[in-house]
Amino acid sequence: MNGFSRRDFLVTAGATALASGVPGWAGAATTAPKRGGTLISTWGGFEPQSLFVPAGGGSSPYFTSTKVHERLIRLNVDLQFEPVLALDIKPAADFRSYTIKLRENVTWHDGAPFTADDIVFNAMEYWKPIAAGVTLDTLESAEAIDPLTVLLKFKVPVPEFFFKSVLAGKAGLVIPKHIYAGSNIITNPVNNTPIGTGPFKVKEWVRGSHVEYLRHDKYWNPELPYLDRLVIRWWRDPASRSAAFEAGQLDIGTFNPIPMPEIARLTAGGKIVAESKGYSNSAWVATVEFNQRREIFKQREVRQALMHAIDRQFISDTIFFGGAHPSIGAIHSSNTIFFTKDVQDYPFDVKKAAAMLDAAGYPVKSGSRFKLSLVSAGWFEENVKMGQYVKQAFEDLDITVELSVPDRATSLKRIYTDYDYDVAISNNAGGIEMIPQTTQYYTTDGIVKGAAFRNATGYSNPKMDELVARMATETDEPKRIALVQDFDRLASTDAPLLPMVDLEPVTIARADVRNHSTTADFMGESWAEVWLDR
Amino acid sequence: MRRIIVRRLAQIIPLIFAVIVMNFLLIHLAPGSLFDVMTSEQQITDPAMLDQLRHTYGVDQPTSVQLAKYIWSVMRLDLGYSYRQNAPVLDVILQQLPATMILMLASTAIALLVGVTAGVLASVKVNTIWDNLISLGAVFFFAAPSFWLGIMMTVLFAVKLGWFPVGGMRTIGVDQTTIGDALDVMNHLVLPATALGLFYAATYARVMRASMLEVFRLDFVRTARAKGLSPARVVLAHVMRNALLPIVTLLGLQLGTMLGGSVVIEAVFSWPGIGSLLFDSVMSRNFPMVLGVLVLGSLLVAVCNAVVDLLYMRLDPRIRAR
Repeated sequence: MNGFSRRDFLVTAGATALASGVPGWAGAATTAPKRGGTLISTWGGFEPQSLFVPAGGGSSPYFTSTKVHERLIRLNVDLQFEPVLALDIKPAADFRSYTIKLRENVTWHDGAPFTADDIVFNAMEYWKPIAAGVTLDTLESAEAIDPLTVLLKFKVPVPEFFFKSVLAGKAGLVIPKHIYAGSNIITNPVNNTPIGTGPFKVKEWVRGSHVEYLRHDKYWNPELPYLDRLVIRWWRDPASRSAAFEAGQLDIGTFNPIPMPEIARLTAGGKIVAESKGYSNSAWVATVEFNQRREIFKQREVRQALMHAIDRQFISDTIFFGGAHPSIGAIHSSNTIFFTKDVQDYPFDVKKAAAMLDAAGYPVKSGSRFKLSLVSAGWFEENVKMGQYVKQAFEDLDITVELSVPDRATSLKRIYTDYDYDVAISNNAGGIEMIPQTTQYYTTDGIVKGAAFRNATGYSNPKMDELVARMATETDEPKRIALVQDFDRLASTDAPLLPMVDLEPVTIARADVRNHSTTADFMGESWAEVWLDR
Repeated sequence: MRRIIVRRLAQIIPLIFAVIVMNFLLIHLAPGSLFDVMTSEQQITDPAMLDQLRHTYGVDQPTSVQLAKYIWSVMRLDLGYSYRQNAPVLDVILQQLPATMILMLASTAIALLVGVTAGVLASVKVNTIWDNLISLGAVFFFAAPSFWLGIMMTVLFAVKLGWFPVGGMRTIGVDQTTIGDALDVMNHLVLPATALGLFYAATYARVMRASMLEVFRLDFVRTARAKGLSPARVVLAHVMRNALLPIVTLLGLQLGTMLGGSVVIEAVFSWPGIGSLLFDSVMSRNFPMVLGVLVLGSLLVAVCNAVVDLLYMRLDPRIRAR
């Protein structure tokens, strides 16, 4: 299991990293990295509302803020934790407290030293109340033992992989106490020009165009970053990004920057490459959700029948141009720690689906079995097509379907606030760790009216709640993996909602951009080790 | 003349009031709110936190109170605060205003130059191959979707020929002198301004041609020819000046919409203008930002109208303020 549970791992990895100066991908280390240069980058989405959004704010601010704000640890492509600001994180024997040893000689961009007080502030004032949500509900106290050691105490035993996943995840960014203390973190104007410990300092944000970062010369690793400047630039149009690659005016783009059908043409010459690594800790799926507040969908057999009615291979090949594959169970297949094939699967079988619906008490009467309203969340272009396809697939079963594809704000409201749908098509990005991002779609306490990307189906099964509760406190890793697989099996059988396809986002880069896509969520890493072979 | 200005400016107040009330209501009628969008993006589920944010955003008050508060703050020349951008609305707009202005003025200049020239040429050579070619071009540029035109121009001039940059407003990551910077911006401006300008030029060419043909038939033109003026002088000094009125009307209308920018052209050329800002703000139901752009936009419309009226008088002294 990749040795992720070895408690001494961080120390070893820390020593290796310091010795080599290049933590991460060994495959790229064939030539010595070169210093200098400007990297022009983009991603497959739009400009963020603010460079740093303390409570999250989606992928775009996550992309821009993580070049400035670092975390204590990070997860590499092999799903092993590596040290960043923390050299070592050790649980107590009862797993009710963790001791964090911090890196020495780390300074904020404004020159102030980074100390244990910063971590105490982050844990109690930022992570717990704002960033992490329920994940750190059981955190009781944080205490600085000495300037480089912090002790975090919890009310209950906290599994190590779970805790480290929080620290290495989207909610674990470390922000400066001396800037934020005493202010409202969410509305602090400094969020537009964040100050962190990271390898890049914000030079200038030209709204509507780009943000430019300069090398932080006093970065804790004197060899890093390799780049002198980093630019994140936004194009609103995928075809324009593709043209920019061709004209040599763009070096790297993450998360499907260009139209899928263009990838083959662009990468044909070998000057531009496509890379699918670097997305496993932010694994996107497209889901189908059944509203169990409706009498029809309270029946498990109906939900299962409709799962059989959808040709997910067709969705992968035709709608995503091969940039997706049919999901198995509730867990993304790139999650090599928890993923299992030993779950109920729903191969495409219209006859079986029809027979199941007949048996469930919904035979065809005067041309139609029943009527349903299908809401496909219109935030991705593919969702429009998926909505149209699923409508046809259900109509082939003689179900009358009323399809709507509302815009983002309306979709959020209809699906997650008003529960105004029968069947919904939505998306989510889960981490390697299942709690809470994935589990909150299935648990009873995941039902929070008005809170998006959680249980909107009304599914409530005491067995499921108990399983997830045990997952939250099981500190023995093999046992915990078994529990997660039980969870996956129950979710797959009950099918309150399930992923239809696992998306496989790609990064497009010029071949002379080196050492990228080395972590489990590359878009959200600091990019200190990226270098240009020019 | 002063009466015209005063009268036009007096129209601004009810206009802005109507713009605020109507758009405020429209945004609130659309499903979903800024609060929904923000909290779902930020994954905030803690009830206490939600209440705190409701209070911060001011959505815990009835809509009528929110509206009254907004009108009051606009009266004090304060366009409010955008929690989405964590910055005052005016600051965000002013940051993107120069880019929008440069693009729109440049494309308008191209439209005027190309459109009027083409229109005059077509009317002088009416019913010849020139006329037909110009009409064909006008129909093409008017009908071709501007995003398609933009992408095609990018592929040809930026990717294949490499004459111009693919997008953006400045070369990023290079420190330049003022003159170098101006040249750099102009280099980036050529493609988007042309793509947008040709679209407007098509209308100008059609209108100019029709208007010229109209004036050609009038008696004073015959007189001018009879007294022996050169054909060029007849066309330029007599016909064209009188045919310009509809163009000025069009120009006034177009300048009024300038602040809205062009979402499509901005998207294709990643031009940092206000169009995209407005679009995003509508999508996220960020009403202070939407209203801010619209209020400034209606101000501009009113000012442009006043200027157009003055221009009318200059071009045709028969038009007097009554």
